[in-house]
Amino acid sequence: MKTRKILSVIALVGLSMSAMAATIPADKVATLRQVPLDIEPTPPVMPKVDNTDVEKARSYPMQPPVIPHKIDGYQIDLKANKCMQCHSRQSSTYSKAPMVSVTHYMDRDNNFLATLSPRRYFCTQCHVPQVDAKPLVGNDFVDLHELMKKEK
Amino acid sequence: MVASLLAKLKVIWGVIRRPSVHYSLGFLTLGGFVAGIIFWGGFNVALEASSTEEFCSDCHQNVYHELQSTIHYSNSSGVRATCHDCHVPHKWTDKIARKMQASREIYGQIIGTIDTPEKFEARRGTLAKHEWKRLKANDSQECRDCHKFDSMDFTRQSTRAAQMHSTALASGEKTCIDCHKGIAHRLPDMADVKDF
Amino acid sequence: MKMNRRDFMKANAAMAAASVAGLALPAAASNLITSSEQTKLEWNKAPCRFCGTGCSVIVATRDGKVVATHGDAKSEVNKGLNCIKGYFLSKIMYGKDRIQTPMMRMTNGQYDKNGEFTPITWDTAFDTMAAKWKKTMKEKGPTAVGMFGSGQWTVFEGYAAVKLMKAGFGSNNIDPNARHCMASAVGGFMRTFGIDEPMGCYDDMEAADAFVLWGSNMAEMHPILWTRVTDRRLSAPHVKVAVLSTFENRSFDLADLPVVFEPQTDLAILNFIANYIIQNNKVNKDFVKQHVNFRKGQTDIGYGLRASNPLQQKAKNVATAGSSTAIDFEEFKKFVADYDVTSVSKLSGVSEHKLIELAELYADPNRKVTSFWTMGFNQHTRGVWCNNLIYNIHLLVGKISTPGNSPFSLTGQPSACGTAREVGTFSHRLPADMVVTNPKHRAAAQKIWNIPEGIIPPKPGYHAVEQNRRLKDGDLNCYWVQVNNNMQAAANMNEEGLPGYRNPENFIVVSDAYPTVTTQAADMILPAAMWVEKEGAYGNAERRTQFWHQMVKAPGESRSDLWQLMEFSKRFTTDEVWPKEVLDANPQFKGKTLYQVLYQNGNVEKFPLSDMDSKYMNDEANHFGFYAQKGLFEEYAQFGRGRGHDLADFDRYHEEHGLRWPVVNGVETKWRYREGSDPYVKAGTGFQFYGKPDGKAVIYALPYEPAPESPDEEFDLWLSTGRVLEHWHSGSMTQRVPELYKAFPDAVCFMHPEDAKKRGLRRGDAIKVISRRGEIKTRVETRGRNKPPVGLVFVPWFDASQLINKVTLDATDPLSKQTDFKKCAIKIVKA
Repeated sequence: MKTRKILSVIALVGLSMSAMAATIPADKVATLRQVPLDIEPTPPVMPKVDNTDVEKARSYPMQPPVIPHKIDGYQIDLKANKCMQCHSRQSSTYSKAPMVSVTHYMDRDNNFLATLSPRRYFCTQCHVPQVDAKPLVGNDFVDLHELMKKEK
Repeated sequence: MVASLLAKLKVIWGVIRRPSVHYSLGFLTLGGFVAGIIFWGGFNVALEASSTEEFCSDCHQNVYHELQSTIHYSNSSGVRATCHDCHVPHKWTDKIARKMQASREIYGQIIGTIDTPEKFEARRGTLAKHEWKRLKANDSQECRDCHKFDSMDFTRQSTRAAQMHSTALASGEKTCIDCHKGIAHRLPDMADVKDF
Repeated sequence: MKMNRRDFMKANAAMAAASVAGLALPAAASNLITSSEQTKLEWNKAPCRFCGTGCSVIVATRDGKVVATHGDAKSEVNKGLNCIKGYFLSKIMYGKDRIQTPMMRMTNGQYDKNGEFTPITWDTAFDTMAAKWKKTMKEKGPTAVGMFGSGQWTVFEGYAAVKLMKAGFGSNNIDPNARHCMASAVGGFMRTFGIDEPMGCYDDMEAADAFVLWGSNMAEMHPILWTRVTDRRLSAPHVKVAVLSTFENRSFDLADLPVVFEPQTDLAILNFIANYIIQNNKVNKDFVKQHVNFRKGQTDIGYGLRASNPLQQKAKNVATAGSSTAIDFEEFKKFVADYDVTSVSKLSGVSEHKLIELAELYADPNRKVTSFWTMGFNQHTRGVWCNNLIYNIHLLVGKISTPGNSPFSLTGQPSACGTAREVGTFSHRLPADMVVTNPKHRAAAQKIWNIPEGIIPPKPGYHAVEQNRRLKDGDLNCYWVQVNNNMQAAANMNEEGLPGYRNPENFIVVSDAYPTVTTQAADMILPAAMWVEKEGAYGNAERRTQFWHQMVKAPGESRSDLWQLMEFSKRFTTDEVWPKEVLDANPQFKGKTLYQVLYQNGNVEKFPLSDMDSKYMNDEANHFGFYAQKGLFEEYAQFGRGRGHDLADFDRYHEEHGLRWPVVNGVETKWRYREGSDPYVKAGTGFQFYGKPDGKAVIYALPYEPAPESPDEEFDLWLSTGRVLEHWHSGSMTQRVPELYKAFPDAVCFMHPEDAKKRGLRRGDAIKVISRRGEIKTRVETRGRNKPPVGLVFVPWFDASQLINKVTLDATDPLSKQTDFKKCAIKIVKA
């Protein structure tokens, strides 16, 4: 364990040293672009939406879960809320879809309501499907678990 | 003026009443056959013409626009379900019955029941409920004309679709329209719709 | 009790989840870790980093890292909710490509405009910058240096920047990106009320009987405010929602009255409503008589283009664009009479009965109505007019300053109000609505800042659009950009922005946390600390000032903009940058550094480190040796106290979940200008619009005038640009959050299926969007959330690989100098 730690420290220092010394061509500096400013690249083909129905792990408990299926044409307006056709308390047993969390039944002052709170009516304000696209940049966000593991 | 018209009508009526006095029997048989073909052909042309997207969308403009962004209009295989595929029965007798019913819609068009988007919107619920009722009664026949239960490969469906189709649909507990409302058009006010 | 590793992890996980949710695990569950020590998280409040709504979030930190965020249940703004972006705030600081060291374009160890970015030290960075600044100022004077800041600066940073530019370098060439965002709203407020920012507050949303959205897609751009509107609409069925836009968007999902109008005709619709109110005898005569003046504004005022542009030359009244003459009610009545329902319906493409239904929402005396607008009004070549015209309507019926009756301008940036507007980081402004052109205002600023007369120039500096033009022309040579991505934002990038930054005469410095396309065009990049890596303050759209503490350390060599500004000021002495005659007249300032003059002036360094809450880090204070944020804030607050802009004491804001100014005797103000609610309104007056000398607001007669560029035979479509829910502005933060990236990775061109069909296009096809100024490649979207009518397309601007600002037109509102990003003519061909 200890040797691994030392090794990783050495690796880290080495990495940051090399980063210090390295120069970056101006046209490669903008990670999200990677082409000169006077050139317009052809955008990637439209990605497919993840439709596996497999719930993704949350980054922390209060993160709204992402939607693991397509929602093409799902109507959420004054007339109908397509999402709640499956995710409401009444239908979730039958549809096998997760019931919306209990917070969704609470009003602004945390009183429980008989049905979905109107402030939570538009599901897509917090919940979004995921497409099959590889992020252009990694993210070093550390999960709580990882942190506690390290402390251990 | 009126007198001459009456005289003409009298002659025509005479021919109709006793055709064989005026024409040979052979001519009459042949003529009847040709007229039958013309009539039948014309009937079918009219039947087909009244089943095109153009014909329908002439009045049902909004719903036709709504259809365009759905999977039934444009999809991976290029098979398009057009208005009559879902809204006109495929069996001849049912089709004629539906067409007779449609005369009401012509009447509606003449008096302008849905001639503005707002008026259509106000009637959307009624119109949708007619169709849901019809599809519920015939076990979603027009869905099943294309989507045959026996041909469904559950392993190629999404998990949640396979789960529902292999249970509720298989047992006959549910029919297509029970779950798939609003797949081709915007939904009306669903406040009083069961299971939604 | 012995636990194996697996059990331990499981126990820990359960405990973490439980503690985070604020639940206590029963002590009887003895096979779990019950020690709160091991699962403890540190929770603190902070305003959200994104839009102007100003949601409060609760941030969890552990071991120097942000590990979770959620909506602040105690905040009046959002009551525990966040939008999808807000919920992922925990990840915005951890993109792998954070800039961690200053970098400069160099070849063989020397600065080279065409060199490669090479890591350097802060000393080298500031030495190089200071040498460039000094040389330029010596040769060309203070107008050749400039700064482009942001409504994302903290209050302290914006204030330090204004001081450095206006009181230090003696240059008014400082402008924020809020110019692209809020300038027309400011213009509207100043013209109608003589004082900036909304009179109402978010509480209006729970009181209104009708909401009218004018060019604001709140469902995507202000999602949490939309939850409040939705809550109200669905809870109280008599409430009506009208949504006006040039294309159908997600806000239409809640619309009782959906209205798609022809671009630019909002001006006519607004005048029609005023006309309707008058014709139907619905004017609140008492209110109008007591509290309103009428004026007729100048017309044919041009389009804020370069003077060489034929459109600009054709306009008759460019020089007097802001002028107006007094008229009376009868003259106003006659002026709007032309805007009858038939002609406005024809012009706007909106049916007559919809226009009447809309007008009725305002005219009906029993209906409390709140109007919202954002970029549809503000990014408009007649943006100030639009703002004036909506106030006309509310003033005619007296529906203003009372709960639910509210013309409400929403903001796009977290501190567009708090920093850009209130601190006054514009080229013509000083703090608390004062302006550089007014000698009394300059004198007031000199007094508070303790600087001699003759330093703050009386002439406004270059505004945002002008800055890019002057960079290109070589008049502005040393330029520092902080907290924004203007190369991706400013219109007409090919002809103005890019040649300006790459002009060999210029030296461009960009401070940012991430490498953006603006850094790509820069000569030097400075790594910036962001959000909770520093102590900060933001002010939201409802005049709410919110503070936060530093919670974590910034990575590598990153430093806050505040540190950068104050540290840079140490490299200049008054002798180097101030006029000789000023120093001769005020010899006590001779030989001092700008740091001493600006930040050791008896105010800013007044509060010792011991004033800080020892629980929190504060890298800036510890570096400078005094509580800089408090000193800057308390000095800044002097500008507004007693002048209608009263802020509370510094320390109080760390305790509260925000307070709405004016805060008088410790109490915030919800509705301004109304007796009993606003302490500045004198008893017995009822209402008092005290921004104007006679206490009366102004109704302006202003006409419909066409857009500078509209579709023609060759460029046959309208282009509108804007945002999407999942990304904020240019995407420099949200595109680095995997979940947000995967929700909307690439920009697309939303278009009507028939427009696609006409051009032989189908969904997903690669296309070129081409204007007279430039082109981009994107893909066709005919099924998306935005449903434009035939003849208009919408392209969002968050995508660094699809720079739609190459296509947009740099025409501005001549009064506010804000660009119209919503209208220009384009064509589309298959790529």
